[in-house]
Amino acid sequence: MPRIPLGDWVNSTVDWLLEHVAWLFDFLKTVFTGTYDGINAVLQAPEPLLLAGIFAVIAFWLRGTLAGVLTFVGFAFIDSMELWENAMITLSLVLVATIIALVVAVPVGIWAARSDRVSGIVRPVLDFMQTLPAMIYLIPAILFFGTGASAGIVATLIFALAPGVRMTELGIRQVDKELVEAAEAFGTTPRNTLLRVQLPLALPTVMAGVNQVIMLGLSMAAIAGMVGTGGLGGDVNEAIGQLNVGLGSESGVAIVILAIYLDRMTSALGTQVSPLGRRAAAKARSLGGLKIWSYRPRPQVAVIGVVILGLVAGGMGVFGGSGDSEAVANGKNVGQGKKVTLGYVPWDEGVASTFLWKEILEQRGYEVEAKQFDAGPLYTSLAQGDIDIVTNSWLPTTHAQYWKKYGDRLDDLGSWYDNTSLELTVPAYMKDVNTLADLKGKAGQFGGKITGIESSAGEMALLKDKVAKEYGLDKEYKVVDSSTPAMLAELKRAMSKKEPIVVTLWSPHWAYNDLDLKKLKDPKGAWGKGDGVHTLSRKGFAGDDPTAAKWMKDFKLDEKQLTSLEAEINKAGKGKQQDAVRTWLKSNPDLVDKLAPVAGAGGATPAEAKRALDVAWFPWEEDVAVTYLWKNVLERRGYKMNLKQMDVGPVYTGLASGDLDLNFDAWLPHAQKNYWDKNKDNLTDLGTWYEPTSLEIAVPSYVKDVKSLADLKGKADLFDGKIIGIEPGTGEMQLAKDEVLPGYGLEDEYEIVDGSTPAMLAELKRAYAKKEPVAVTLWSPHWAYSDYELTKLKDPKKAFGEGNTIRTISSKKFPEQYPQLTKWIKNFHMSEDELGTLEAEIKDRGQGHEEEAVAAWLEEHPDMVGRMTPQ
Amino acid sequence: MSARLEADGLYKVFGRKPDQAVERLRQGTDREELRDAGTTAAVIDASFTVEPGEIFVVMGLSGSGKSTLLRMLNGLLEPTAGHVRFGGQDLTEIGERKLRDVRSKSISMVFQHFALFPHRSVRDNAAYGLEVQGVPRAERERRADEALALCGLAGWEKSWPDELSGGMQQRVGLARALATDADLLLMDESFSALDPLIRRDMQDQLLELQKTLKKTIVFITHDLNEAMRLGDRIAMMRDGRIVQIGTAQDILMRPANDYVASFTQDVDRSRVLTTAAVMETEVRGDEADCDCETATPETSFTDLCAISARVPHPVAVVDGDGELVGVVPTRRLVGFLGDEQAEPGTCDSPRDQGPEKVMARA
Repeated sequence: MPRIPLGDWVNSTVDWLLEHVAWLFDFLKTVFTGTYDGINAVLQAPEPLLLAGIFAVIAFWLRGTLAGVLTFVGFAFIDSMELWENAMITLSLVLVATIIALVVAVPVGIWAARSDRVSGIVRPVLDFMQTLPAMIYLIPAILFFGTGASAGIVATLIFALAPGVRMTELGIRQVDKELVEAAEAFGTTPRNTLLRVQLPLALPTVMAGVNQVIMLGLSMAAIAGMVGTGGLGGDVNEAIGQLNVGLGSESGVAIVILAIYLDRMTSALGTQVSPLGRRAAAKARSLGGLKIWSYRPRPQVAVIGVVILGLVAGGMGVFGGSGDSEAVANGKNVGQGKKVTLGYVPWDEGVASTFLWKEILEQRGYEVEAKQFDAGPLYTSLAQGDIDIVTNSWLPTTHAQYWKKYGDRLDDLGSWYDNTSLELTVPAYMKDVNTLADLKGKAGQFGGKITGIESSAGEMALLKDKVAKEYGLDKEYKVVDSSTPAMLAELKRAMSKKEPIVVTLWSPHWAYNDLDLKKLKDPKGAWGKGDGVHTLSRKGFAGDDPTAAKWMKDFKLDEKQLTSLEAEINKAGKGKQQDAVRTWLKSNPDLVDKLAPVAGAGGATPAEAKRALDVAWFPWEEDVAVTYLWKNVLERRGYKMNLKQMDVGPVYTGLASGDLDLNFDAWLPHAQKNYWDKNKDNLTDLGTWYEPTSLEIAVPSYVKDVKSLADLKGKADLFDGKIIGIEPGTGEMQLAKDEVLPGYGLEDEYEIVDGSTPAMLAELKRAYAKKEPVAVTLWSPHWAYSDYELTKLKDPKKAFGEGNTIRTISSKKFPEQYPQLTKWIKNFHMSEDELGTLEAEIKDRGQGHEEEAVAAWLEEHPDMVGRMTPQ
Repeated sequence: MSARLEADGLYKVFGRKPDQAVERLRQGTDREELRDAGTTAAVIDASFTVEPGEIFVVMGLSGSGKSTLLRMLNGLLEPTAGHVRFGGQDLTEIGERKLRDVRSKSISMVFQHFALFPHRSVRDNAAYGLEVQGVPRAERERRADEALALCGLAGWEKSWPDELSGGMQQRVGLARALATDADLLLMDESFSALDPLIRRDMQDQLLELQKTLKKTIVFITHDLNEAMRLGDRIAMMRDGRIVQIGTAQDILMRPANDYVASFTQDVDRSRVLTTAAVMETEVRGDEADCDCETATPETSFTDLCAISARVPHPVAVVDGDGELVGVVPTRRLVGFLGDEQAEPGTCDSPRDQGPEKVMARA
């Protein structure tokens, strides 16, 4: 049989999709996360018990008193288990997935019911979607949608769509043919037949489908915890990872409560919305008489109840908001609220290091999110850039296959803990087994099994390929592939019965604290040197945040520190990791400053940065670019900048009076000469960062025979007698009208059209697209020269005057106040290409996205930060 | 008020290449041969005219194509060939939209299994056709209630279909059809699902209503008794073809072929026949000269038997003008009951010598 490379095809399809249809995924992601955030915000806002009350009133209305009471009890139970927030996350996830699933499923189902061909196509697709193991599309979903809610929603959607479509189709097809014929016989239009006969009669079945969608969605939402959607799925995932049966069952029970509630409510809703269901219910009620447990309020009463509770909830949500953001000392505020996402595999050293850094970074003014993953999704997310930092990557062995796959998209910030080892471990009661060699000949005792972990783990490969062979165990023992939780469960089970067992394990591991275990000695050194626990970052993180990256690079913990921290965290229990870190830090007071130094020699933030800079800027392309560039770079260095947009005159006055500190866009010595001359005694010139500049008239280079201003003469017809100008009254317009046109004898032929810079650029763009001749007033530097092929018309008569340079000017006192910054600024230069691309980037992202644009541009120019602010 | 319905050379062929199949049928290919090729000819060359106010019954066994024929009359099925003309329009020519309009305003239908909408009350069911027409709620409810009252369901308007017996449900179906004031009523085995007593009731009620409403009705049935009771004229269908069209007596007295005749055997002839069909028309002229009871040509067969029993000699038949038109000997009455109209034979036995001979088979 030839090998059919299906896998390769899928890979290249995925690559192609990523490359070409990213916009679609982005759009979907926006829709999904938008809906999710909205619903989640609503569900998270009110007090838990109040929302439980709302749920209870809905249950009271739909199913009666007993259901209402049980609902309240159930949700209160969730709240008491401290799972409320996660339960609501899961609920939002399921609701969003359900809503989207129905929006897709019902129309498709209707279509399939009306056309056998569509039905024939849809059915195998649904089978495919429903039976394909969830993991297979769960992980790729990260590639397309990143970690978090949208990947979870997509996975849930794929899984839960099928019953919606099927039941809709079935429901409609089930409707008595004679009824449909009757409707047609009375002249009903197909649309009304659908709306008035088929859908109402199919509604019970459709609602059963909705119910199924929700149920499947809920079960999938638990699995989706693996891709970092959080919620109860995350809890379950975490519990499994730590073999914490207690936490696992708590979140499991919470899921069950949600499931039962949603199931009962949707089926009751099915009865309520379908006319037939209402009839049947009414009949049953009239037979049963009035009972307190099945008493149901009228819809109006229920609605009023829900509204009142909702209003109370909303009110409390609005007024109950607490301001828990602590003020971070100014000088230590390196992060400036920048977001950093830490990912970790729930191993003890991972939890410890992650929460340690979470605390440290928060103290440094970052906004930090810690997300838990399985190893696979963790690396995918990191490679995708969804998370920034991972502190527990075991390299080179354990996580070898992930590094192989994603290494080129990750940055290794080095190892912070080297004292690790891989080993085979037996319970301490196995007296006569002390080294690997002792295992030989004892296969009968151990059932010929070595209980392993995930077959993909580096340790397993090492064990099978090297260690077992070296000690001659490969003939006797079978290494059983399994999973870490399963291995631990097996270990616990065997130890509770005092049975012999040998497992693959590694240090540090909490199992050594919890269980009385013995590491088997490896005299031949077959395991090799232990892994280091490395810190990885997404590609380019160091460029975005050199300070944090440097901290991470220098990060080290010794065994005593790590174990004491782990012990503290284990003592505090789940959900209190960060509190534990704080407690631990109190006994290690210098550590934060040691791990994340802010001042001093290698220091990031000079003392001068304590005072915020007032920077004035003009709404001109090059000034927007340079100002935001400096803002980005200086904020990395701990400076704070207040940006003020102003006109030229006030800027000079403000700088002279000391109200303003800096302006990066002084066109000197000509353009702003009079302002400079007036105030120069109270100003400092920090030097030129860009030259040369020029004012000019430009035409697209496809206008072949126009190379200089003189060439314009006699071609007025070509340009329709117009030169597109900018804002009237600007220096350039004055020059063009008063000097340039008369200087070249163009004043009778051409008119310079007053307008605005954006209008001029729009006109240029339009004409350029159509390859029409156009002449515009322009200046260098300008991004238009990067984006379009333009000819600057030569000005041999120097009618536009001598070129300016662009300088940074400051208040008089500035060099004293900011010696470091003064030095940096004086050495600052940009090339035409750099400025042009930065301006173009800013223009492409649009107004309001300047900071993003600068960040993106800096990623392309990683050396820029170091060049501007050398340390 | 009613309009004339005309079916002209209707064909309906299911399966592949229906047009070719029609062509072959026209050239005399057998239906069975087509069936072997995978196409089914459900209706073959059906032509008839239904006069305004007439009840036209299409009678045939299941599979004879009668339901298909009916559905072509209101365009639920598009004829493969042929035309349906109604109220001056060719329904096969007008578009889907206009056809729906015709269906909603001038043709209504009553179904075998009632086809009431279970999610609508009795009143809303009856008002359905009007709702489709876009009649405002108040008016359509008034007209639906009227139609329901006409069908004997006053007081049941707010009930639900599943609360009614079969007969009542079909009255709702009938009311729904009548409420739109359609001129043409298509009834598809409408009484077949009802038990015999209720069916009689419904038939009577339909005839009663028809006296005042004078609708044009096409009624499908597989029950010849029902056909003869209701039908002004009857079309007998077999294997997609109309084999005979005629009045009940035509069918009974002059079946077009053995197939039709085999049907008529089971018919209660006494209910269908009238004196006119039974009487001998060769009269001497003096049969009515006595004071004995006489019959008219319209006298039903049962009544005629009763008269014959009271009169010692053959019953004279006198028309409206008092003119003698025929005579009915008892022997002939008995013969008709047995479907035997041959001349009596003779018998040599002296004890059988008498003025009137009785057939042994009678």
